[in-house]
Amino acid sequence: MSEATRKIPPGPLEYLRRWPLQVWLALVAVFLYAPLISLMVFSFNDSRFTTVWRGFTFRWYEKAFKNASLIEAFGNSLTIALFSTLISVVVGAMAAIVLWRFRFPGKTAFNAGLAIPIVVPEICMGVGMLVFFAKVLPWPQDLIWPLNLGAIIIAHVSFSFPFVAVVVRARLASFNRELEEAARDLGASEFRTLMDIIVPHIAPSLVAGALLAFTLSLDDFVITFFTAGPDTVTFPVKVYSMVRFSVTPEVNAASTILIVVTVLLTFLALRFQGSDALTAGHDGGAGDKK
Amino acid sequence: MSKIGRRSLLAGLGAAAVGISFAGLSGCTKPGGAGKTINFYNWDTYIGDTTLADFQTASGIKVNMSIFATNDELFAKIKTGNSGFDVIVPSNDFVTYMSQADLLLPLDHAKIPNLKNVDPAFMDPIYDPGRKFSVPYTWLVLGIGYRKSAMKDGMVPDSWKWLYDSDQYKGRIALLSESGDLMRLGAKYLGHSVNGISADVLKQVEAMLIKQKPNVKAFHSDDGQDMLMSKEVDIVMEYNGDIAQVIKEDPDLAFVVPKEGSQLNSDCLAIPKDSKNPVEAHAFINYMLDAQAGAKIYEQILYPTPNAAAKALMPDDYKNNPVIFPAPDVMAKCEYAAFEGPERAQVYDAAMTRIKAS
Amino acid sequence: MEQSWRQAKGMFGAMLSAPLFWLVVFFFVPLAIVFAYSFGQNVGLIDISVFTTFDNYKRAFEPLYLAIFVKSIWIAAITTFICLVLGFPVALAITFAPPKAKAWLLLLIMLPFWTNLLIRTYALMAFLRTEGYINTTWHWIFDGINAVSGGMLGDFRAMELMNTNFAVVLGLVFVNLPFMILPLYSTLDRMDRSLLEASLDLGAGHISTLFNVVVPMAGAGIASGILITFIPALGSYLTPDMLGGPDSQMIANVIESQFKRANNWPFGAALSFLLVYMTFIGIAIQGLVERKNAGRAA
Repeated sequence: MSEATRKIPPGPLEYLRRWPLQVWLALVAVFLYAPLISLMVFSFNDSRFTTVWRGFTFRWYEKAFKNASLIEAFGNSLTIALFSTLISVVVGAMAAIVLWRFRFPGKTAFNAGLAIPIVVPEICMGVGMLVFFAKVLPWPQDLIWPLNLGAIIIAHVSFSFPFVAVVVRARLASFNRELEEAARDLGASEFRTLMDIIVPHIAPSLVAGALLAFTLSLDDFVITFFTAGPDTVTFPVKVYSMVRFSVTPEVNAASTILIVVTVLLTFLALRFQGSDALTAGHDGGAGDKK
Repeated sequence: MSKIGRRSLLAGLGAAAVGISFAGLSGCTKPGGAGKTINFYNWDTYIGDTTLADFQTASGIKVNMSIFATNDELFAKIKTGNSGFDVIVPSNDFVTYMSQADLLLPLDHAKIPNLKNVDPAFMDPIYDPGRKFSVPYTWLVLGIGYRKSAMKDGMVPDSWKWLYDSDQYKGRIALLSESGDLMRLGAKYLGHSVNGISADVLKQVEAMLIKQKPNVKAFHSDDGQDMLMSKEVDIVMEYNGDIAQVIKEDPDLAFVVPKEGSQLNSDCLAIPKDSKNPVEAHAFINYMLDAQAGAKIYEQILYPTPNAAAKALMPDDYKNNPVIFPAPDVMAKCEYAAFEGPERAQVYDAAMTRIKAS
Repeated sequence: MEQSWRQAKGMFGAMLSAPLFWLVVFFFVPLAIVFAYSFGQNVGLIDISVFTTFDNYKRAFEPLYLAIFVKSIWIAAITTFICLVLGFPVALAITFAPPKAKAWLLLLIMLPFWTNLLIRTYALMAFLRTEGYINTTWHWIFDGINAVSGGMLGDFRAMELMNTNFAVVLGLVFVNLPFMILPLYSTLDRMDRSLLEASLDLGAGHISTLFNVVVPMAGAGIASGILITFIPALGSYLTPDMLGGPDSQMIANVIESQFKRANNWPFGAALSFLLVYMTFIGIAIQGLVERKNAGRAA
């Protein structure tokens, strides 16, 4: 815990307090948020057009809420994102630890193999998944929830967990191995060392990885489309046909709901994990001692 | 990315979606023995708000609707098998393609008595002789959508020339990105049929489009009506149904089928070969051809109907709308695009790639 | 240092099994099918023969497709560069923020990206259109200047923003920025701050400290940020499709049309695999950067 005892000097490194960076951050934030905020604002616009303000209305929300297929698609997407995130975080973290911890034959190949899902064109993977679930592993129709979404969840994990592995590995690189050795010298088992020393250290990257995996899953259209069966329309697939062309503020309304829901979920997650879940561990446990 | 726009729902046109039950809670609730469920694969917003619920009330069969955006997507899904769909909506050329690939179930006309409602003109099309595999659901024609106030001296752009071969509307033109349609209509402009285009003619069309490209604002993926409405462009290649929808919102817009003639499309109902519920699928198709049910659908989606009995029930502003039903003399010059083998699509697509890359 | 797998076989096996299984069965098997297609050809109406021909690759190296590859690389490179320039100060600011602000800032960066890609792109379109917010604002300012100066600027002409290569790059930056910021932050955050303090104490300015200390130390993070941004940008097709003009086609659009419109899966598969091969080169380069960095640290 050497970092914990080191005094963090005020002043020089507090870049956040410097105005050029503040301006920069503000500009980036405007760039990222202005389109989304305007999208949300115009979901209340009393006109089909999304660029001219004609007065306030809730009718697009009414329409969206009455659109049963949209609601179902929305539920499907959240379910898929949840399950694929859970699996991705576990599998991705395991991959990262193996690569960081061990020397083994085929390591380079495994490492390169993990990078491929990140880079392969979506459409290529989508077609691969389509053929795979049609010919190699036909996914039965009419399964109960959430098994009916299994094929899509599997496909999503395939492209999400390597991202988690990348994020976790970046974090592991800073791990002080002496800690691990000390734990083992003191008689801790491999497993205990893992759970008590390594996992807490990588916790922030697990959260970051989970956020990334969740995003990727909610975002994906191409692979989902190819993998989806009759019962499994997801939000992007549904919205695609609504948005792609002839967009109405109903889509703005639906996406506003999506944004609000995810924001709420995030805050809930933070509450459960403690308010500093996103940064936990970055200061080497100093937060715990305060 | 072809025909999404023309399926697009005009918000505010239809009644609010009351009690649509096609969402289905996917297996959570299965009412004891209350009948079967069929899977219907359709274009988005290409059905009446209450059609599926009405059908369930009438027959006890639940319809679970999924949506696709292009014929190619539909084809990709069906061709690998095990798709789980019972009724699909391919366009005319894909009816031929899929029937030749042995992907469609021959229809049992005895189970579809409502076929009598269909206009006889649609009963023996080239793309599906004798209606062996499909029944017609809608038809459409490509033409030119334009903004009246932006046209020079109030003229009507009734020739493909304004899209393909003129810098009059430089930077205000949007063409369909669908390579096949673009090549075929180019050939039509040059005085040829949309089918059996020779390599020479194709080369001419390609050269013409490469020359025209600097004048073109965008190759749109069938959202031409939106580009018109948002004043992004003034003149677009689009389907009649799409423009009919936006004219209701912006009377400054209009549609014309060029004097050289154009290309027709027709979307059809069909049953995949591997359907597990062919009996119920036939019952559903029969219901879709019902006059009353059909009228409710077309009232909402505003596409021309091949269903004569349903059309008779429609109000005059649909029946006599010259955008939805263009004048017979110009329609006589229009043709269906035939399925000319899978290589054909590759030839068109390669030409399109060259045009875009040039 | 790294442990040999023999020293902890149980642990090694347990940790390797799940990722390896998943990777092979749910990724490489599907991909292998596509790979097989890339040497195949259409037979009849729906069948595809595999491992029968090299024609697809031969065709991919025609000047037409090579030119499209070059254009895609160029657009992706510009996008990546802009993301790096925009993202680095942000990552830096987050790194040195107090813990509480750090959480908020990370949230700030991540939040827009929960929104669907399609919706985000669409939201951007409302800005870029001929009658979108930017042009409307510009028109308003324009009229203002004209009113004051007595028509100095002449007639108003809307800026051509939509359906241009500019719109494509803007859209790609908008969509890919977090992929750059997250790895940068991850690396900067574990940087040894005492080096920075030392540099500042010794009288170096912030800018020179940035370029002489921070950037070299963050080399690995920058390399992985570049890789993780460049590659999705290279393979994107929705953005050029929705925001691009008649000449904005990127390689993924061509691949997509092979899988869809042209229904020539073998050729599409070959083009996709060319992208995959290029990726290997990218990873190799990143590996070199990392090695160089490790060498410097030792």
